[in-house]
Amino acid sequence: MTTAFALLRKQIKDSLCNFQALMVMLIYPLVAFVMITALGSEDGMSGMFVTMFATMHASFAPLVTASNILSEEKEKGTLRALIMTGVSRQQYLISESLFVVSVTLLTGSAFLAMDVFTRDRAAAVAAAMLCGAVLSTLAGLCVGILSRNVSAANGMAVPIGLVTALLPMLARFNESLDRAARYLYSGQISRVLDSGKLSGEFAAVMAVYTVLLAALLAILFRKKGLE
Amino acid sequence: MAIVKLDKVTRSFGAKQVLGGVSLQIEKGEIFGLLGPSGAGKTTLVNILTGQLSCGGTAEIFGMNCGRIGREVYRRTGAVLDNCGLYERLTCMDNMKLFACIHHISAARIAEVLREVGLNGSERLRVRSLSKGMRQRLQLARAILHAPELLFLDEPTSGLDPATAEEIHALMRRLRENGTTLFLTTHNMDEAYRLCDRIALLHEGQIVEEGQPAAICRRHCSDSELHIVTSDGEDLSLPSLPQNAEVVAALMREGKLRAIHSAEPDLGTVFLRLTGKELTQ
Ligand SMILES: Nc1ncnc2c1ncn2[C@@H]1O[C@H](COP(=O)(O)OP(=O)(O)OP(=O)(O)O)[C@@H](O)[C@H]1O
Ligand SMILES: [Mg+2]
Repeated sequence: MTTAFALLRKQIKDSLCNFQALMVMLIYPLVAFVMITALGSEDGMSGMFVTMFATMHASFAPLVTASNILSEEKEKGTLRALIMTGVSRQQYLISESLFVVSVTLLTGSAFLAMDVFTRDRAAAVAAAMLCGAVLSTLAGLCVGILSRNVSAANGMAVPIGLVTALLPMLARFNESLDRAARYLYSGQISRVLDSGKLSGEFAAVMAVYTVLLAALLAILFRKKGLE
Repeated sequence: MAIVKLDKVTRSFGAKQVLGGVSLQIEKGEIFGLLGPSGAGKTTLVNILTGQLSCGGTAEIFGMNCGRIGREVYRRTGAVLDNCGLYERLTCMDNMKLFACIHHISAARIAEVLREVGLNGSERLRVRSLSKGMRQRLQLARAILHAPELLFLDEPTSGLDPATAEEIHALMRRLRENGTTLFLTTHNMDEAYRLCDRIALLHEGQIVEEGQPAAICRRHCSDSELHIVTSDGEDLSLPSLPQNAEVVAALMREGKLRAIHSAEPDLGTVFLRLTGKELTQ
């Protein structure tokens, strides 16, 4: 428990000194805030923007953050130092995942405050954001395990993040993209944010992605460890 | 009691064999030096001992197979290795606090260790602003924070100025006096000679000589030389054999002897004789 607490405190302090990491976590809420402030009362438009940026936030930010943290610790050898003090690899992964998910939700809560999501939609929105944060974090850890250093991790995480984050937005303008986005977890998140209602389809897609990503993470971890 | 035991340890990377059957024992409370040129396999051996690399043969620390060491062994060992970094954006104190918290160690002990390595007053500096010597001290502070019984140091003074290196040597001696066993690698023969109780010379993955540094030199230098400078400025090198005593005596009688040194082979020369290669290059 003290180890988890120590890792969490380290990560908070480190992230606060890391401008790039802060930007990744804050950029979408900030842009959304600027947009709705600029658009004012044109309701339909501001709702769409907030949904779009909230989807991007939940799918892009945790993916890039998780992969960056893990790959930087590998590159700098700090993870090796932790392991050599007896921190288990599983303990490390769990602590870092909790950190990334919590920060995503914390910064993502700004979207709830933007007055676009009515109170009765809040629970569904929060659930969708939580699912997005967890799945993207799992994907980020997979990328981190596969990458030797930060630039390799970014080279993989940014394209994946852009596809998951942008496809739901593009799907609004193209029907075949919309059909494809249905099978993407971020596509489902976008739908829930739009409608404010959780659906069976959403639950099914989330379950499938959870199983797939957790299995992928387990396989990669078994094969490559955290070296 | 042997704390580290290696028996015919081998390790290859692809087709390249880096360690070809290394056998060693390290006793409690000694400073053991592994001496060898760049690429000899020193770091590879340390990585095996710290459980980071698998190997052939048997490698044990505290009687535990190195391939399976876990928390209990890590709590009894410390390491200053190239591949164990510091958190660059955090301060010295935050770096230390993290590891202290993991080891359940008090803040008072952090202050004590920082004083020990000469970093008191630098607690609030960020690691990225530290000089190389200060980083090395901080790594050392982190490694000894939990008072480990066995400390691994991979080239702890390479690239440091002589004064800082000497301070680190002094710290290593203090640690030995307190009962810590030290395993260090170096290609600095002077460091090995002055600091280590025992050394092993590693060459292309094989131990070519092992023992006390002075004893090794004596073993390989029955044929030491005398270097003589005469008052005419002439340099003479004579094998120190009985028949040359008369030459020296004659120079002294004539008042022509300005300086005389006995040139016993140092570890570098021994290494050169054993392997045909320079130790440092
Ligand atoms: N991960 C690796 N993959 C392939 N080859 C490696 C690896 N690690 C080490 N080697 C090779 O093993 C040999 C020994 O390397 P090692 O780092 O153990 O040498 P060293 O004695 O520590 O040298 P130095 O004094 O330069 O640190 C080198 O030829 C190196 O190229
Ligand atoms: Mg080395």
